Amino acid sequence: MPFNKLCFRKLIFLATLSFFYLAGLGQDRVVSGKVLDKDNNMPVSGVSIQVKNSNVGVTSDSNGDFSIRARLGSTLIVSSTGFGTLEYAPGRANTVIIRIGRLIDALQDVVVVGYGTQRKRDITGAVASVGTRDFASLPAPDAGQAVEGKAAGVQVIASGPPGNNVTFRVRGTGTINDADPLIVVDGVPADAPLNNINPDDIASFDVLKDASASAIYGSRGANGVILITTKRGHAGQGRLALNLMSGRQQAAKVVKMLDAAQFAALNNEMLSNGDQAVNPAFGNPDTLGVGTDWIGALFRTAPMQKYTVSYSGGTAKDDYYVSASMFDQQGIVQNTAYKRYTIQFNNEARVLPWLKFGNNLALTADDKPGMGANGATSYDIRNTLASNPIQPIYNKDGSYSNVLGNPLWYGDITNQIGTAHINQNDTKSYDVLGSLYAEVTLVPGLTFKTTGGLQAQFYNNRSWAPVYNFEPNPQTQSYLSQQSNTDLTYLWDNYLTYDHLFGSDHHLTVLAGTSAQNNRYNYISGNIVNFPSSVTQQLNSGTGAANVGGDGSEWALLSFMGRVNYSYKDKYLVTATVRRDRSSRFGPDNKYGTFPSASVAWRISRESFFKHVSFINDLKLRAGYGVTGNQNIGNYSFASNLNIAQYNFNNNIVSIVYPLVLPNPDVQWEQVEQGNIGVDAALFRSRLTVTVDAYIKNTSKMLVPAVVPVTTGYSSTTVPSVNAATMQNKGIELTIGSRNLVGAFTWNTDFNISFNANRITSLNDSTPLYVDNYGLNANFGVDQKGHPANEFYGYVADGLFQTQEDVAAHAVQQVGTKSSNSTSPGDIRFKDLNNDGLINSGDMTYIGNPNPKFVFGMGNSFTYKGADLNIFLQGVDGNKIFNANNIYQESMSTGENETVRTLRRWEGAGTGNFMPRAVYGDPNQNSRISTRYIEDGSYLRIKNVTLGYTFPGRLAQSMRFSSIRVYVSCSNVYTFTHYSGFDPEVGVNGVDYSVYPVTRILSAGINLNL
Amino acid sequence: MKVVVFICLSAMLLVAAGCKKYLDKAPLDTVNSSNFFQTSQDAINAINACYQPMQRPKLYNLRMWTSDIFAGNSVTGAGGGTDGIETVEEANFTTDASNAGVLDLYRGPYPGILYCNLVLKNVPGIDMDTVLRDRIIGEAKFLRANYYFILVRYFGAVPLILEPQSPSSADYYPKRTAVPAIYQQIKQDLNDAIGLLPPRESYTGSDVGRASKGAAIATLAKVDLTLGDYADVIPLCQQVTALGYKLDANYADNFSTATKNSPESIFEIQYSGSTLYGFFDDLNQASWTSPYMGPRNTNFVGGAYGWNQPTREFVNSYEPGDLRKDVTILYPGCPAFNGNVYDSTYSTTGYNVRKFLVPTSVSPQYNTSAEDFPALRYADVLLMEAEALNEVGQTAQAAAPLNLVRERAGLPDIAGGLSQDDFRTVVLHERRMELAFEGQRWFDLIRINKGQYGLDFLHSIGHTNATAENLLLPIPLAEMQANPNLAQNPGY
Repeated sequence: MPFNKLCFRKLIFLATLSFFYLAGLGQDRVVSGKVLDKDNNMPVSGVSIQVKNSNVGVTSDSNGDFSIRARLGSTLIVSSTGFGTLEYAPGRANTVIIRIGRLIDALQDVVVVGYGTQRKRDITGAVASVGTRDFASLPAPDAGQAVEGKAAGVQVIASGPPGNNVTFRVRGTGTINDADPLIVVDGVPADAPLNNINPDDIASFDVLKDASASAIYGSRGANGVILITTKRGHAGQGRLALNLMSGRQQAAKVVKMLDAAQFAALNNEMLSNGDQAVNPAFGNPDTLGVGTDWIGALFRTAPMQKYTVSYSGGTAKDDYYVSASMFDQQGIVQNTAYKRYTIQFNNEARVLPWLKFGNNLALTADDKPGMGANGATSYDIRNTLASNPIQPIYNKDGSYSNVLGNPLWYGDITNQIGTAHINQNDTKSYDVLGSLYAEVTLVPGLTFKTTGGLQAQFYNNRSWAPVYNFEPNPQTQSYLSQQSNTDLTYLWDNYLTYDHLFGSDHHLTVLAGTSAQNNRYNYISGNIVNFPSSVTQQLNSGTGAANVGGDGSEWALLSFMGRVNYSYKDKYLVTATVRRDRSSRFGPDNKYGTFPSASVAWRISRESFFKHVSFINDLKLRAGYGVTGNQNIGNYSFASNLNIAQYNFNNNIVSIVYPLVLPNPDVQWEQVEQGNIGVDAALFRSRLTVTVDAYIKNTSKMLVPAVVPVTTGYSSTTVPSVNAATMQNKGIELTIGSRNLVGAFTWNTDFNISFNANRITSLNDSTPLYVDNYGLNANFGVDQKGHPANEFYGYVADGLFQTQEDVAAHAVQQVGTKSSNSTSPGDIRFKDLNNDGLINSGDMTYIGNPNPKFVFGMGNSFTYKGADLNIFLQGVDGNKIFNANNIYQESMSTGENETVRTLRRWEGAGTGNFMPRAVYGDPNQNSRISTRYIEDGSYLRIKNVTLGYTFPGRLAQSMRFSSIRVYVSCSNVYTFTHYSGFDPEVGVNGVDYSVYPVTRILSAGINLNL
Repeated sequence: MKVVVFICLSAMLLVAAGCKKYLDKAPLDTVNSSNFFQTSQDAINAINACYQPMQRPKLYNLRMWTSDIFAGNSVTGAGGGTDGIETVEEANFTTDASNAGVLDLYRGPYPGILYCNLVLKNVPGIDMDTVLRDRIIGEAKFLRANYYFILVRYFGAVPLILEPQSPSSADYYPKRTAVPAIYQQIKQDLNDAIGLLPPRESYTGSDVGRASKGAAIATLAKVDLTLGDYADVIPLCQQVTALGYKLDANYADNFSTATKNSPESIFEIQYSGSTLYGFFDDLNQASWTSPYMGPRNTNFVGGAYGWNQPTREFVNSYEPGDLRKDVTILYPGCPAFNGNVYDSTYSTTGYNVRKFLVPTSVSPQYNTSAEDFPALRYADVLLMEAEALNEVGQTAQAAAPLNLVRERAGLPDIAGGLSQDDFRTVVLHERRMELAFEGQRWFDLIRINKGQYGLDFLHSIGHTNATAENLLLPIPLAEMQANPNLAQNPGY
């Protein structure tokens, strides 16, 4: 197009525009627009739009569209039941998008509470509801990662390879045993890996935090309960939604290791300090250059994609929601990935006025390449860190290289890129999670509901290793191992609900019911060696020694539960629940557990004397107390049994029968008594909402290993557990929601912070319990009375000895004849805490608490016209990390490669006071468990930034969409931390050993609604 | 509608009425202790279990042979850092009560003792073939004696438990029993076993390798030797010889997977090399000796972790021409092992143990070695006989059994006319070389001259900080904490 023609058209366009602008002042014109639910960007129908100070008003249609005559400069009042009211100034725009949100304190909102729902304003316990609106645009494979930092009192730890499930901690670590909350999906208490559920299908995510809320789940409520409800269809025009997302991931941070020249210099120094022969090839380290970056070669930039399509709708008689999704994530470590397909069918049919049927059904198939049976992986991050930078990855002929020679010079790590590519591990799962229910209205107000639930998990692990010859651990025989697992859980719930308003002031709801649930798990496994060809990787094709295995286990639970809710004038509210559980896991003398709770609330704002407090529009005080249990104590702890195993005489297999574990017939559930007080307040016409909760959670009957003297002959390591210890968690939670700016430009802030202090208040004896044994000949943590769970325990490093006089002046650490076999200058001085002149186990102490003092999250969301911006920050503070990788990667005593921090090692008096000397064999045991490895685990993470744009209604409609939103998003943008390892978000016990790091994800996507 | 109400309520009642059976879930993979010990097969399965703890790393798969490291024959080697640190501490005589190796040795025998006690309590009441029943009781007594013999030598006084215990047992937290009472029980068990057990020849098929009369006699001889009751040792050794035991023509046959339970074998710990259980599992059926001792990071054997590296002093102690050296030691210039040429850089001392190595053609992986461990063999009996004869003053007669061992090693007979002291030196040297790395040396060091022999030896090789108190291991800290009635050994 010629330049002048284009220019001319532009001028005409501008001129026309200014004409209309001038002409329009004070004139009526038509404003057309679309109303969207800001939670999910779905059109909202039936919204009243009125011009302020006039009687002009319209209602949005089923696409959320409206058009209204309004003067320029006038303001629109937009309101709808359940959404509240907002004022919107269209300015000069003729086409607008108005987002209305369910008010943060929308008291009509319904919260799922277990065997029913309650209006939020009626809740008397501590319940956190997490918004699910951004699930569709977060590059999170499962809801667990999507809710990290979003709810007070709910800590999420999300590190791990693709397909790994997150760890939840609700109000701290409630027990030193299984502290995971119960997860209930659509009413089915499921041992569900959360990643079985496509987050796009989730309508609500509620967490029952205190005992008065979770006691309805009795012996499974002690660690909190997460209630997930999937989406349903709504009456009205059908909807078709498409969510497409594509992203790229990379390691947010990679630990820097020594290069070849630096390694050789260290190696020479270490060996000569240790009186060992140095490598003649390292005579001039600088000539060796950079060498191989093994960890860089293990990591990669990897793509991910997510596609969800759903259709939903309904009539007065029925509704439906159906979705299908595909999620495909390549891992940032070579040959790791997670691929998942889900289908969700949710239906309800109101067959007769008094009878309805419904179902929720989720089918999931997923594949985790890189993850084999029992967590086996082909890659090993710690070994990759340790790999020798002088060794190339490949030989000249393209084959994988061997260790170059003497392990003192070249290490002894098998080629990690080789094994990561050659060995195959895989887990494929096929899951069904479904329920079918019937609800009968017996008389008005009285309904009976029966639910049959099924969770069927089938997962198959496979590990394959072909013959390969790279040293030092060549695979001389090809090997295939497979395991098939079946895990079936059946549920049958029956309950009656009576709901009645007596007069106008007395509202009573009563629930009574039963629940029966049982589970059976089976596996069969086989492995075989020697395959004539790598092409036929079937167990039948192996020709060598074979092994088979298999086992099964069962549990069953039979329960009665009841709940009464009573409210007087919506002002005084009382809830009482009780559940009685009988579990196959309890010992014969303790078959029953009863778990009661009660809570009250007072809506002060409804009192007449409160009327004049105008800036507070709602204020509720809550208090509750209850008892819950934890029955995750193992299926057969009570049983007195003899094990069967195999032995041989002269290579002939014979069987043996022997006792292993001393039985404990009295074993029972762990118990948590929890008191909670809370305040919910809505201020300034609900512009600001505040929820504060404080709790004390006393765990009793906590299972601890029984003291079994070795002399009994029963295992003193695999010991029965006895209900003998106690623990306390106490904390404060604060949640603030603020609508800072309303109108055309909106700015909302959501902030939550949770403080929790954990302490073991008693153990069954004075013997500490050692934890975190990673097979490293070391215990990192200890559980002891008066201390928090899993506190780190070790020596206290106190700088370095600078001179021989320093060594002589201090307690004896390691005697010897020369510096290569005794404590010497450059070694770490460990504090002689008991002042006995000798450094030994008596000088170990508590050196760090892995539990954070507080965790927090803050989201800021901005919208202007079609654009929306969300910035989410999240962090933890006050916890310590045990950097166990550095036991090896900063030991400077073997042929393994070390981190660049070892460049600051001691090399003579005054050259440093932290990183010790390099010496082969580590005579002083500088690498013993000590404060040397304890690091601050606090961090502040820019968890996610998402920028979206919703196209104006006309443009979308011209393409026959009811709405179109495009967005770009970055997760794990940046982390502020002092931690020296990959990432401070390590496992729940705070130990960083070969942890798969958190990844940075850059993604873009589109949400289409038809 | 009434029908509907009825259906609804009965659904709830159905669950409520429930289902006692619904909640009865017993383990699917174990037998119930209340209905066991009914049949002869039960008795066999129970006695088989009594052998199994011998196999564990806590005893013969690791800790029994690592005693040669603190006996000064070798150094730990291993991977440096914290790898094998407990053994390094033991060898440096800086062991404390939290030492993992010490804990293993204490934990090793007691499960075996429990299994034996269960057999001895329950099998006599089973209605079964009496010959078989006697044999099973004899096996249990033999094994219980062996477990206590290990304990009493490492730890001195230990609790003597002769009945299965429960938390309500009076001696659930037992005190230590004095050493003489433990030996008295050991000798009584062995004497009973001698009467009950059949000779080795009666075992065939999948019974080969069980405890036999000869094993009980030879063990009793070793107990008497340990106690210094030399006069009692001599006839016991002669009874073993009379049962038909003889030296293997080839020394190496004692350590070969091709010649398991050989004519020289009196009692050996059985390994099949099965990979059914995890390598570190107590139930593991694969031997650790070859993978642990193979030169670190070489292709010599599957695994090759480089533990147990002989000292120069030990290697130099071979007499010229000793055929056992090439079988026992990898040294620079030694014959190639399975085609692999040895290099001194494979080891911190320049040497590795060769005796137990199994070539990859036989055991391809670290966890497939089927090599048995020789707990007691006839060469030991001959050397015990020679030592005892010398100690009772029959030095001239003592040369004959000693020379049988030397002849097989390709060495000339010892010079005649040695004094009693000189002969003692010679026979103890011979024990050291013949039984090297078989876990015997430590027990020899601590038994002779009340341990002074051992202290003198340890001081002579540079372990000058070793004291008499080091000759007993500490009672493990974990056990001291678990049982308030235990007293610690002096010096810990």
